[in-house]
Amino acid sequence: MDNFEQLRNQVRRYLFVMLLLNNVLIIEAWWANVNYFHINDTIFLIVISALGLGLPIVFALATAGYVLQPLKALWQAIVHIAPGDRPVAAPKLEELRVGRELVTNLCRQIYQMATQAEHPSDSAQGATDTHARFIMNNLPLPVFVVDANQTIVFANEHAAEYLGNTTADLIGTNVYSMLDMSFPSTNTYDTWLAGVRGKNATATSYWERVRLNIADKRPERLFDLAAYYNQGNVAGLETMLVLFDHTEEYSQDDQAVSFMALAVHELRTPLTLLRGYIEVFEDEVSEQLPPDLQDFMSKMQASAEQLTIFVNNILNVARVDDDQMTLQLHEENWPTIVRRAVDTMSLRATVRGITLETTIADNLPTVGVDRVGIQEVINNLIDNAIKYSGNSKKIAIDVSLNKEGLVETTVRDWGMGIPTSIVPNLFSKFYRDHRNRAQIGGTGLGLYLSKAIVAAHGGNIWVRSKEGEGSTFGFTVLPYVQLADERKQATNQEITRSAHGWIKNHSLYRR
Amino acid sequence: MNDDAPTPTSNQAQTKTVLCIEDEHFISELYQRALSRAGYEVTVEVDGKKGLEAAQSDKFDIILLDLMIPTLTGIDVLRDLRDATKTPHLHSKIIITTNLEQREEVRADIEKQADGYLVKAEITPHELVEFLDQLQIAA
Repeated sequence: MDNFEQLRNQVRRYLFVMLLLNNVLIIEAWWANVNYFHINDTIFLIVISALGLGLPIVFALATAGYVLQPLKALWQAIVHIAPGDRPVAAPKLEELRVGRELVTNLCRQIYQMATQAEHPSDSAQGATDTHARFIMNNLPLPVFVVDANQTIVFANEHAAEYLGNTTADLIGTNVYSMLDMSFPSTNTYDTWLAGVRGKNATATSYWERVRLNIADKRPERLFDLAAYYNQGNVAGLETMLVLFDHTEEYSQDDQAVSFMALAVHELRTPLTLLRGYIEVFEDEVSEQLPPDLQDFMSKMQASAEQLTIFVNNILNVARVDDDQMTLQLHEENWPTIVRRAVDTMSLRATVRGITLETTIADNLPTVGVDRVGIQEVINNLIDNAIKYSGNSKKIAIDVSLNKEGLVETTVRDWGMGIPTSIVPNLFSKFYRDHRNRAQIGGTGLGLYLSKAIVAAHGGNIWVRSKEGEGSTFGFTVLPYVQLADERKQATNQEITRSAHGWIKNHSLYRR
Repeated sequence: MNDDAPTPTSNQAQTKTVLCIEDEHFISELYQRALSRAGYEVTVEVDGKKGLEAAQSDKFDIILLDLMIPTLTGIDVLRDLRDATKTPHLHSKIIITTNLEQREEVRADIEKQADGYLVKAEITPHELVEFLDQLQIAA
């Protein structure tokens, strides 16, 4: 109330001065007449009356302007922020000569109230609807409300508790930075929202087994997610997210992955030994062996290597299916990676009498890839080519820059080829042509895995084949510059989302 | 360096010592053979406790540490070796050698504390030697 007192004093002072001035002028006029002018009484009465009337008019005009300054500023402030288009400039508070402090404070409050009316989040705790507040804060489920900019405008107590945060900290932050989610399929919250926005007035969706990635050491969370979308809500409340935690049930299911890890461990130990012993024999006795036994030794080594790839394939497919595979894309020299992969496969080709011919264009930019992951793609494609080569003895690996400026790698064989009818299913899990099953070993995991890995790199994988003439499998990876540019252009929230790699809050199949 | 003598293998100047903490006897045997031939001096320990004790003596240039080992896990050993209160001034390089597959986060965490991480099934003994030779150059 100090400010108000201040205003009152200002007005008091002003009125006092004005009235004083008025009276002084009239008295002065009378005194001047008596001493100097000696106008006759009647005329003087008229003059003094005119003065008595005129001065208050002048003073009233001045006073009204002065005293009403604060009121005018408040009027400007209110009309300025009112909805609808009546443009009134915001009051210039610094130009106020009276009640500036009071008006400044009041204007601040008006603006604040207006913001709260637009974004009820800020007043969530003070929501007028006590029923709603009671329900929201006692609902034993984390609830988030998000506006069109993906900013959290409301989070209930359980939401805060779930994230180990306070509601005050959550509100106003980007939802992706707080809820770093991974989805088990291409149908993510992101893609759903993009799909319903601007098309549906309202929409709901439900996802199972969503994973919440938590930055610190706390165990990750698994939950089902329900979302409600409504378009153009006046209060800016666009989407509501409700989380149903199932961490315990789902992580029990995930023991299956641990079983996989154990099985893989048990497979790898004898594999390590096999490869080790083969190497010892290669080193120490192979020179003394007749050529046919040397050949067997090579085949044994090739088989052990094949088994190594297969074990990794099983493991990686399990990871893809559980959305556990993360790839770190780095700037790499592509020819080096291709040559290394070809090198790894050369023994396997050699023991089958197949030569690998590698042609690499020399205008290649560096690429953005996960070295280990992408090498598995090349290995798998060459492995396939070897399996399906039939009697042909050559496999060609070509690397070039394609028309779209992507680095394209193809693996071509002149073997049995693939019937057109089954081409569309080739990249599905466990798919093999029933006619080939008897002739060709293998599980069909390789192409499924390759597709997932290439897609996670932002590239494409394709096949061209003609029965009896052979097949060409090809895939693209992005030049590093392009990848880096995309990251730079990405908005803040996207950077946060992809901070741990590409896949967070996106399925593996999307960037 | 000593350019007066030809250096046939990597065992010039002084012999590098390796502690191999590995419970699978066949594997340690293979590694010991390959490393000895390349001029390394290898000591083998078959469980976590003895492995940790030996490692803490700081007599080794390189420690090969398996993760699935008895008494103390490789992760326990690694933690104690990286804990300055339990193991002050360790000069050894610690290389994880394992066939165990773990969650991405766990592996990243282990990799951060170690000087190398190798999946045994993916390397032959020769490749292990090559890796350790490279490590010396880098050191």
